[in-house]
Amino acid sequence: MRRLLVIAIPLVTIILFLAVMLSGNFLKQPLGKDDDIPGLIETLIKDIQDEQWDKVNQKAEELNNAWGKVVNRIQFSAERNEINNLSVALARFKGAILEKDRTSAIMELKEAYEHWNQLCQ
Amino acid sequence: MDNNTDINYYREVKQVLNEGLVVFVRSIIAFFSLLIFTRIIGKEQISQLTFFDYVLGITIGSIAASLTTDLSSRAWPHWVGLITWAVLGYLMEIVTLKWRYASKVLEGEPVIVIMNGKIMEKALKKAKYRISDILELMRNQGVFDPNEVDFAIIESNGQLSILKKAEHLPVTRKDMNIPVQNPGISTELVYDGMLIEENLRQLNKDKAWLMNELKAHGINDISEVFLVTLNPEGSIYIDKYDDHITKITDIGDYKGPF
Repeated sequence: MRRLLVIAIPLVTIILFLAVMLSGNFLKQPLGKDDDIPGLIETLIKDIQDEQWDKVNQKAEELNNAWGKVVNRIQFSAERNEINNLSVALARFKGAILEKDRTSAIMELKEAYEHWNQLCQ
Repeated sequence: MDNNTDINYYREVKQVLNEGLVVFVRSIIAFFSLLIFTRIIGKEQISQLTFFDYVLGITIGSIAASLTTDLSSRAWPHWVGLITWAVLGYLMEIVTLKWRYASKVLEGEPVIVIMNGKIMEKALKKAKYRISDILELMRNQGVFDPNEVDFAIIESNGQLSILKKAEHLPVTRKDMNIPVQNPGISTELVYDGMLIEENLRQLNKDKAWLMNELKAHGINDISEVFLVTLNPEGSIYIDKYDDHITKITDIGDYKGPF
């Protein structure tokens, strides 16, 4: 029994650590209804191309909330660089839609998408 | 959406990030990973470390440090670096244990620098030691005169072993034909007021015998004693909690806070 514990405790600890470190790739995926970041980016790009600015504003809010949720659960396994870059891209995206600037808005969304892809990779 | 709420949303995202918490979690990961790995790799004492073991330790420690605080990259790649170094270190240990030839190449071997009282200049040069280093290492061992030394060997951990000439070796009981009995190692019978029955049994004694011994020293209960040890020869050491020493010698030579 004692011998088992001597092996089991470190083994379980290491497995737990691996789970924490590698969980990011799973946790960044949409787990609920309102945290689908790639989905929201896709619909946003479509709405911007159609110049549906009311819809865009609403979706941008949703995207922000979704990112807030995702960031909360991936922060222990993700790199701070990608998190910050994605947050900055979203901030700039907000500036672009404030001025109804199609090109910039799509550029920032594409960048945000790329950061999301690189996150935890 | 007006401008104000817009800025607030961004702030909300920033607020959930807690760098201190992340560092805390990563510290726990690094600390216990390091503890587990080092327990697996090494039983060697610091004094027995070869130069490579020393570098290995520093590198693994430094990887663990960046795993803790380098938040710009994920914990995972740092951890992979940590475990790779640990596994390689472990493999090297296995190889040198099983394969004498490899151990000679990887860990070096002892070099004789003084043979029959003569300094081996070539060996010294090869080992990259100055003669002043050797004299210093000799002095560390209480040898101030090279005349006393028959053999001196630089071990693979960099320490010097000295064999003195026969005329400088201390007289032993054997030389004088004095009969001796090996004292053996004392065993704890009572530790911090608690009886260790296992050890008592090992020495073929029982509690009644111990109580008799204690009574002879004016002790009525085991809880009164801090430590009792017994060596195989039967010599018993007893220390009570109550030491009855009124004037305690203070070796401090300067007035400090205590």
